[in-house]
Amino acid sequence: MPPIAQYVFNGIVTGGILALPAVAFSLLWRLLRFPNFAVSTYLTVGAYAALVLNADAHAPLEVAWLGALGATGVVALVADRVAFRPMRARRPFSLAIASIGVAFVLENVVRFVWGNDFRAYDLPVTRAASVAGLRVGREQLMILGVVVVLMALAQAFLLRTRLGIAMRATADNPLLAAVKGVPTDRVIAVATFGGGALAGAAGVFLGLDASIDPLMGGGIIISVFAAAILGGIGSAPGAFAGAMIVGIVEEAGTLLVPPTYKTAIGFAIILAVLLVRPSGLAGSRA
Amino acid sequence: MIAYLTAIVTLVGVRALLTLGLNVQWGLTGLVNLGVVAFFAVGAYTSALLAVGGVSLLLAWPAGVVLAAAAGAGLSVVALRLREDYLAIVTLGFAEVLRLFLLNEAWLTRGANGITAIPRPLHERFGDHYQLFYLVLVLLAVALVYAALERVRRSPFGRVLRAIREDEVVAAVAGKPVFRFKVQAFALGAGVAGLAGVLFAHYLEYVEPNMFLPQESLFVWLALILGGSGNNRGALLGSLVLLGLLEGSRFVKDMIPFLTGVRLAAAQQILVGVVLVVMMVRRPEGLLPEKPGSE
Repeated sequence: MPPIAQYVFNGIVTGGILALPAVAFSLLWRLLRFPNFAVSTYLTVGAYAALVLNADAHAPLEVAWLGALGATGVVALVADRVAFRPMRARRPFSLAIASIGVAFVLENVVRFVWGNDFRAYDLPVTRAASVAGLRVGREQLMILGVVVVLMALAQAFLLRTRLGIAMRATADNPLLAAVKGVPTDRVIAVATFGGGALAGAAGVFLGLDASIDPLMGGGIIISVFAAAILGGIGSAPGAFAGAMIVGIVEEAGTLLVPPTYKTAIGFAIILAVLLVRPSGLAGSRA
Repeated sequence: MIAYLTAIVTLVGVRALLTLGLNVQWGLTGLVNLGVVAFFAVGAYTSALLAVGGVSLLLAWPAGVVLAAAAGAGLSVVALRLREDYLAIVTLGFAEVLRLFLLNEAWLTRGANGITAIPRPLHERFGDHYQLFYLVLVLLAVALVYAALERVRRSPFGRVLRAIREDEVVAAVAGKPVFRFKVQAFALGAGVAGLAGVLFAHYLEYVEPNMFLPQESLFVWLALILGGSGNNRGALLGSLVLLGLLEGSRFVKDMIPFLTGVRLAAAQQILVGVVLVVMMVRRPEGLLPEKPGSE
């Protein structure tokens, strides 16, 4: 049996993949005031977009990955225009239901076109390196590196750019921000595209780390929620830390419970946070 | 043809119960339950397991309803403490985890094999007319639940629920214990879903975990949104229209040759999702809107 350190390492990789949709989900929730259940399905969209570019059009995976980012961002924008924008003034829960409908449509469009089979990217097979007794895949290191860069970029965007600051202002108080001249619609469009792109990027990583099938995104929805809630809704660093914890606990947890119960571990984390510290680790106002 | 119709209407009755239950939660009180199917499963499995274990149906059936309601109460107490939108996530997660539990804990639930030979009530007495008897039983249950929920809706309790839905701060300022009302409403809806599960399990004489997939919850939502949330007649109508959508698209298969099984199922679900979103955006009040300020 591999040492515990191996589980922790795998958990860090899983956590890195979870971090991207968790940040997107958390920030969009704070900005638009509803939990968008379609975010995890955006992973599926990204994974298949890259599959088309990589396996069908024979583009290198790096190029396919960039294409997946753009394609998923556009899909998220279209979903927002068609479903969410006309409902902005409605009760937030109505939007949550509509987002479930959107997720359902997207997942089944993928199923309609590509079927239920498991797919994989067209990649040269590489041997996992052995570092200090740990099996470390080349893709795993690449995923971690890219995730760290993307997280740093997202945080820099939120803290340093005019648009990022406008986004946080709108999340805090949309009316005041609008009165002060923040172009609310543009802010929302940028956040929606960015959130979709982050989730799409994670979808390709998930496809690399596990496999590609229509349920892949929906299958991690509870883990994504657990990460966002653990981190405190609206906090990007919180969601990142939450994702790392959820990833590690889920992987290491398979030492104690059967792997089929991974989802249950995420669910247990959600319940524990709600019971013990409902505002999450970052403790931002929920 | 008669047998087909009897079976279909029986299952519509079960769906109508699920929709009526969700209407208490979402339609009246504004609580999001994305795990309708979980309470349906709790009712079905509880009653089925007790009955195959030799417990009288007179005990097994109420036990299914009570346990489903208790699960609803417990979950809503945890989820509603802080933010209401956590309820959506917690109920969705509960449904997923419960299905994993049903699949993996074979010592209790018999896992993927499911539970077979679930006893049917009064089977010997009705013999050849059993299907008809069960249909009447289900329709009776729907009628009773409908009548009871209509009373609830018009009662002071129902008025408070609608007040909470419209503006819970106002309801709280008026001195209503909002949290307690929400938990009661959620438990009531979950109990009705449990009853649907009980009737479903003893009708089919068989249950297995894959009958309780997440999409079943979405079908119930579609029925409610289609019919018109907030009023019980809408819940009934929505269940009927949903049946038309689901059964109708089955016949389409014969007309379009290149549709494979997977594609047909996917197309059917795309249709369900699209109709749900279009209704939410274009006609959120449904086909039969709730009358403003109705009694």
